[in-house]
Amino acid sequence: MQTPLRIDPARALADIAIFQRKLAAGMANLRNMHEPEYANTPRELVYSEDKLKVWHFTGHGKATSKTPLLIVYALVNTVWMTDLQADRSMVRNLLEQGEDVYLIDWGYPDGADRWLTLDDYINGYLDRCVDAVRARHGLEAINLLGICQGGAFSLCYTALHPDKVKNLITMVTPVDFHTPDNMLSHWCRSMDVDLFVDTMGNIPAGLMNYVYLTLKPLRLNQQKYIGMVDILDNPAELENFLRMERWIFDSPDQAGEAFRQFIKDFYQGNKLVKGTLEIGGHSVDLGMITQPVLNIFAEQDHLVPPDASRALGKHVGTTDYTQLAFKGGHIGIYVSGRAQREVPPAIHQWLRQRD
Amino acid sequence: MADPANDFIKDYQALAQQSWDAWTRQFQPSPAANPFTPPPAPAAGNDTLERTLAGLKGYFDWMQAAASGGAAQPAPDWRQQLQQMFGGASQPFAQAFGGIDSAGAEGFMRQWQSWLQAARHSGFADLAGAQGPTPAFGLNREQQMQQQALATALMASMQATARYQELIQRANAQGMQRLQGKLAEPGRQVDSLKALYDLWVDASEEAYAEIALSDEFRGVYGEMVDTQMRVRQLQQQQTEQLCQQLGVPTRSEVSSLGERLQALRREVRASHSAVATDHADEIMALRRELAALKRQLAERPAPAMAKKEVAARPAAAAKKAPTKAVRKSTPKTVPNPRKRK
Repeated sequence: MQTPLRIDPARALADIAIFQRKLAAGMANLRNMHEPEYANTPRELVYSEDKLKVWHFTGHGKATSKTPLLIVYALVNTVWMTDLQADRSMVRNLLEQGEDVYLIDWGYPDGADRWLTLDDYINGYLDRCVDAVRARHGLEAINLLGICQGGAFSLCYTALHPDKVKNLITMVTPVDFHTPDNMLSHWCRSMDVDLFVDTMGNIPAGLMNYVYLTLKPLRLNQQKYIGMVDILDNPAELENFLRMERWIFDSPDQAGEAFRQFIKDFYQGNKLVKGTLEIGGHSVDLGMITQPVLNIFAEQDHLVPPDASRALGKHVGTTDYTQLAFKGGHIGIYVSGRAQREVPPAIHQWLRQRD
Repeated sequence: MADPANDFIKDYQALAQQSWDAWTRQFQPSPAANPFTPPPAPAAGNDTLERTLAGLKGYFDWMQAAASGGAAQPAPDWRQQLQQMFGGASQPFAQAFGGIDSAGAEGFMRQWQSWLQAARHSGFADLAGAQGPTPAFGLNREQQMQQQALATALMASMQATARYQELIQRANAQGMQRLQGKLAEPGRQVDSLKALYDLWVDASEEAYAEIALSDEFRGVYGEMVDTQMRVRQLQQQQTEQLCQQLGVPTRSEVSSLGERLQALRREVRASHSAVATDHADEIMALRRELAALKRQLAERPAPAMAKKEVAARPAAAAKKAPTKAVRKSTPKTVPNPRKRK
C-alpha cells in the first residue's frame, strides 16, 4: 500500500523555520498590542439597578420602527458580543436597519448577589427593565430579543408577562436541554448541584471558562493559537483575535442561587419543555406564548445544539412561528461576515412585517 | 558511525529550542530582586499570552519530534511512522489537553498543600485518618473526626480524578486510531506537518466527543466534581472554625446575612408592588364604572318628565337639559361596584 504520509524531511524543517520566523516577526506586534476596545456604539444609560444597566443605543439616524427592541443577554460572558467591533456589531447593524435598540447589561455579580434567584432576575430585574422601556415609549408591549440563556429567560418572561411582549426573538436559545448531543447538559446531569453551589457560593468565571474549553480541548486550547501565528504579522487581524480573547475570558461570575436553579430546572430537570417549570411560584407554560416568535439558531453550535433550539416550535402556543437556521457557530452568529449580512436584516424584516 | 543527516537535525533542533527559549523569555517578567517581594501584577493580556505560549510550545515540540523521529526516518510501515511521530512525550494531545487539565489539577493540589501547611502551623495537628478511619475521643475528638473526614474525602477525590484521567487517555488512544483510519482512506495524502496536525486534531476531537458523551464519562465527571467539592467544603469548615477562634467573621455568617438581606429586599419590593397593584385595581375599577355609565347613558331613552321640562323652557336652554336630567338620575340607577365589595 502506498504511504499516505508524504512529508519531506526538508520541508518539515522548513515548516518549523517558517513557524519560528513568524513568531519572531510577530513578537513586536504582540508586545505592543493594547487592550482592544469593543465597538462602543454610542449609547445612553436609561435605567440602572444594583449592578444592572439598560443601555439605549443612539445611532446616527432616527429609528424607523414603532416598537423598541430590548436585547436580553445571558448571564454568562458579557453583552459586548453584540457590539464587538465596528464592522462586526449586531447592534450597529440593527440600528442601521432602523431598529430602536436597548440592551440589558447584567454586570459582574459578587458576594452581594449570591442569593439572587431566577425569580429575582426574570420577574424582578427583567420585568423592571421592560417596564422602563415601555414607560419611555408609552407602550403596553415591546419587542424582546433573547440570546442564549437570555433567550430562555425571555421565553419564561413572555409566558409569565404576555401583555408586555409584542414580538419575541430567540437566538441560539436552549429549549430542550436533553438532546443527545448536548455535552454541557450531559456533564452536569450527574453532579450534585446543591453541594456545588453550597460549597462555591458564586460560580467563578474562570471555572466556567475552563469547562467551556474542555468541550473542544484541542481546538480551543491549542489549534486556535497555532492559527494565530499566521496573523501575527497583521496588526488588524491580531487585534480582532485579541478582542475576541478578551470577550471570551473577561466574563462575570455566576450568582449562586440563580446558577443552582438554572442547572437543576433547565439542564437536569428539562422542565421548560416538560411544562413543570416554576419561577417565583408561577408556572411557566410555553403554550402561553401566543405572540409572534422568530427562533434563530446556529447549525454548528457546540454549546447549544440546533435540536435544543428547534424544539421551541413544538412547545410555543403561537400560530406565527418562524425558524431561521444560520450556517455558523454559537459565536459566529454575531461576529462573522455572513452574520452581518444575514442576521440583522432578517430580524428587521421579520419585525417590520409585525410592527 | 556518524550520521550527518541526523546530526544536522539534532543541531537544528538544539538551535530551534534555543531560539524558542529566547523568544519566550522575552515575555516572562523579570524576577524580583528581593525574594520576599510579591511578584509583579500580570500585565494586561498576560493570561492570553500564557495560554498562547502553552499551546504553541506543545505544537512546536511536536513538530520538532515529528520532523526528527518520523519524517526524517521513514519506517517501512506508515502506521509505525505515525506512532513515532505521535507516540513520544511531546505528543500534542498531552500538551494541549493536559495543559489545561493539569493546570486545574495543579491548582487543586496546590490549594490542598497550602491548606495542609496552614492547618499544621495553626495547631490542627497532622492529617489524621489518611491511613483509614480510627476511633476518636477526648477533648479534640471533633477535630480528629473532621480531619479523618477530610482525609477520606481527599482520597476519594484523587481516585475520581484518576478515573477521569484514564478516560482522557482513552480519548487520546482512540484519537490515534481514528487518525490512522482517516489516513487509510483511499486517496488521502498528507504532505506537511501542519496538515497532519490538523487531521489529528479532527480525529482526536471526534474520539473525545464520543467518550465525553458516554454514560461512563458522565458518571466519572459528576464523581470528580462532587468529590472535589466535598474536600473544599470540609476545608472551609475547618477554616471557619479557626476564624471563629480568632474572632474573624466567617463566610457562612456573611453569606447568611446576604441571604436575609435579599429576602428582605424581596419583601419590600413585594409590598410596594402590592400597594401599586391595589391602586391599579382601584383605577381599573373606576374606569370600568365610568365606561358602564357611559354605555348606560348612550343606551337609555330620555325620560318623559324631562321632555316636559324641556318643553317648558326656552329653546336655548333646552339643548342642555337632557344631559343634566340624566346626570342627576344616574346614582339611583347604576350600582356602585366598589360598594358591592
